[in-house]
Amino acid sequence: MIEHISRIFGLAVKEFQQLSRDKLLLAFLILGPLLELLLMGSLSGGGIKNLPLAVIDQDRTSSSRHLIAKLDRTDELRVEAYGSTVDEARQWMQEGDIAAIAVVPRGYGQALTNPTDGAEVQIIADGSNQIVSTVALGTAEDVAAQIRQDLSAFRSSASQGPIDLRFVARFNAAMEDQPHSITAMLGMIVFEVALVVAAQSIAREREMGTLEQLRVTPLARLDLMIGKTLPTLVIGMADFLLMMGVAVLWFDIPVRGSLLLLTFLTVPFVLAQIGWGTLISLISRTQQQAMLFVFALAMVEVAFSGFLVPAGDMPGVMQAISYISSVQHYLVIIRGVTLRGAGLGLLWMPGTALAGIALVLMALAWLRLRLGLDSDSLRRRLLTAWRQTQSRWRESVCRKRRGNRRPKQPEWHREPA
Amino acid sequence: MSIKRLASILTKEYRHIFREPRTLWMVFLSPAFVLITLSMVFTSGAGQIELALWDQDHTTLSRQFISTLTSDADFSVTRVSDYEQIGSSLTSRHVDAGIVIPPGFASTVQAGGTAPIQVILDGVDTSVAGRASSSLLGHAADFGAQLSKQYLVPPPPIRIKQQSAYLPPAADRDSMVSGLIPIVFSLPVIAAALALARERERGTLETLVATPVRSLEYLGGKLIAYVTASLVGLVPVWLTASVLFGVPFRGSPILLVVLTADFLMASVGLAIVIGNLVKSQQAATVLSLFVFFVPAFFLSGLSDPIDTTDLVSTLVSYIMPTTHFVTICRALFLKGATLIELWRPSLMLLGLSTVWTLLGALSFRKRIA
Repeated sequence: MIEHISRIFGLAVKEFQQLSRDKLLLAFLILGPLLELLLMGSLSGGGIKNLPLAVIDQDRTSSSRHLIAKLDRTDELRVEAYGSTVDEARQWMQEGDIAAIAVVPRGYGQALTNPTDGAEVQIIADGSNQIVSTVALGTAEDVAAQIRQDLSAFRSSASQGPIDLRFVARFNAAMEDQPHSITAMLGMIVFEVALVVAAQSIAREREMGTLEQLRVTPLARLDLMIGKTLPTLVIGMADFLLMMGVAVLWFDIPVRGSLLLLTFLTVPFVLAQIGWGTLISLISRTQQQAMLFVFALAMVEVAFSGFLVPAGDMPGVMQAISYISSVQHYLVIIRGVTLRGAGLGLLWMPGTALAGIALVLMALAWLRLRLGLDSDSLRRRLLTAWRQTQSRWRESVCRKRRGNRRPKQPEWHREPA
Repeated sequence: MSIKRLASILTKEYRHIFREPRTLWMVFLSPAFVLITLSMVFTSGAGQIELALWDQDHTTLSRQFISTLTSDADFSVTRVSDYEQIGSSLTSRHVDAGIVIPPGFASTVQAGGTAPIQVILDGVDTSVAGRASSSLLGHAADFGAQLSKQYLVPPPPIRIKQQSAYLPPAADRDSMVSGLIPIVFSLPVIAAALALARERERGTLETLVATPVRSLEYLGGKLIAYVTASLVGLVPVWLTASVLFGVPFRGSPILLVVLTADFLMASVGLAIVIGNLVKSQQAATVLSLFVFFVPAFFLSGLSDPIDTTDLVSTLVSYIMPTTHFVTICRALFLKGATLIELWRPSLMLLGLSTVWTLLGALSFRKRIA
């Protein structure tokens, strides 16, 4: 046991030495994630701002102008053009110049002050982008609510209508986009760093031919795997902690739950990526192939992570597949702990899923390592295994047939006798 | 510059790509494969919004309100009976929003007053929260208009009539699929960065130094090999988009091929700069992930439109070739734009391909460190 530990330790030390030799790589691995998070975090996630809006003002009164000015003054919308007909504005929308159209009908000003009638403003949003249309419609509703409030303040007869929906946003009262996108980026960066380091570590040895040298050392397969896993785990966790520091101190992401729990649950997430990485580096012969596999996997994971489409909006089959995506589970966990303040009681499901994924991937990688490293020996092994099962099956079938015939054969023998 | 030497470098690069079936598959077919998986995720419509509903009123009117919510499959409602349950199901992501109908809802409405309904949104995923709130407001306005007639309650002074202009029914998916094309092409592009780093890592660059090949010929060979190889990959990608996902193609095919080549030039140029900067393939992979991967999803205008009023973010997204090609692909596939309409992104791409290949050539040293 102690021998194993010292061997694993020796391999881990060698890995760290190799990493520290390439100063540029080490800088990319430690500082790269921080810079990336800082840059991307400050550039994106400001939410959608200044969507171009076309206005068709058929009323041309002071109250309609007041409404248009109010729409223009919001962060989200900006009056880009004034049109005279809806068809003209729709043409602009088709060309992609504007995102929404506001139609103020004739008689708007009068209807606004008429207690029995009420005015109606139409908002046509570009449905080709779900997020854009949601923001445009939501902003218009906000403006309408403001006007309703203003009117009721100085004219008590103005009613709110029979139903008044009062919105409260939990966890993020100001409904800022940033916490959502920062957590997504943090998860994705930890994911990609762990995946790349793990995927290249064995592929590199293989391409350089040093894996053969490692195989003749007394290092057992499991030792090799653990020794290769440890440095990646350390780098992944270090990156996670550093980026959490940036997220909390720089971007003011609240940590409402326990940071210890989050750190604890990050371990299976990093391990899952190491499992993927080891698997990739075992099936690819060069680092270039490994890298291409890494990118293909990363894109698929992003697709299923719920970043492009919320998991609930995917078609049924894809939704089922998305449960294999470790990023999706991890994003639930990291948002759960930081923003929603969830404890282990509410997060055991994604937590177990992550641990399961990590375990299965590690087991697969170990199995692949056991089956022999070059694909020729794998092919030979699979072929022999297939032939063995084939011959076994044939034998059993033959025996069954023989077994069926046997009671008949004595009869045949007996009859002539 | 000798054509013969350039051709021999080109042959060598092609041989590298063709030698291994896995590399070949990765360079030619992986963009199409990734496009299929990425696009499968999108449906033509939005999914249901999950609501936790606490009806404290228990009247015919409150039940009527709930049935208007569930009538058109926009919402799926789970009944709860206290705030605790709403809070915990929001925290564990089982529902997107909670609704509380207070006691006295029906009597207030029948007396001609305004009855409040509380909506508790999950503020974390703002796009889901926004969709839930605008959809709820729409349903409440419809129901309210019905009630004002029935109980003679004066209607609200201003109402928003919502309409989503869906161009064709599957527009959301079409625009996503065509917008994802530039992103899937980052796979063969990064292979170019690694091809360069590999020569340095394995020491074969030293062998090349001893040959009469000039650095420009060497880089030109790499550039042409990877641009042409990726360009062939456009065929399966195009087939995937048009045949498998039925995305209409309204523009000119020649223009798409030319602009794709231009985009690939710019990207491979950027990849060459990365390959020159680093010493190992591992470092090249890490750096390309940071340069191509995260910005491609967050800054290219794929899901959120670029905020053109913020100078820094506009600048960063404009030096990425992907940003312009997203615009071009969407315009060519969905709108059938011509070169004249696309002059701005095309010119930007042309400029970027010049700048990045120049920088790549300048940063390359055919020398042993």
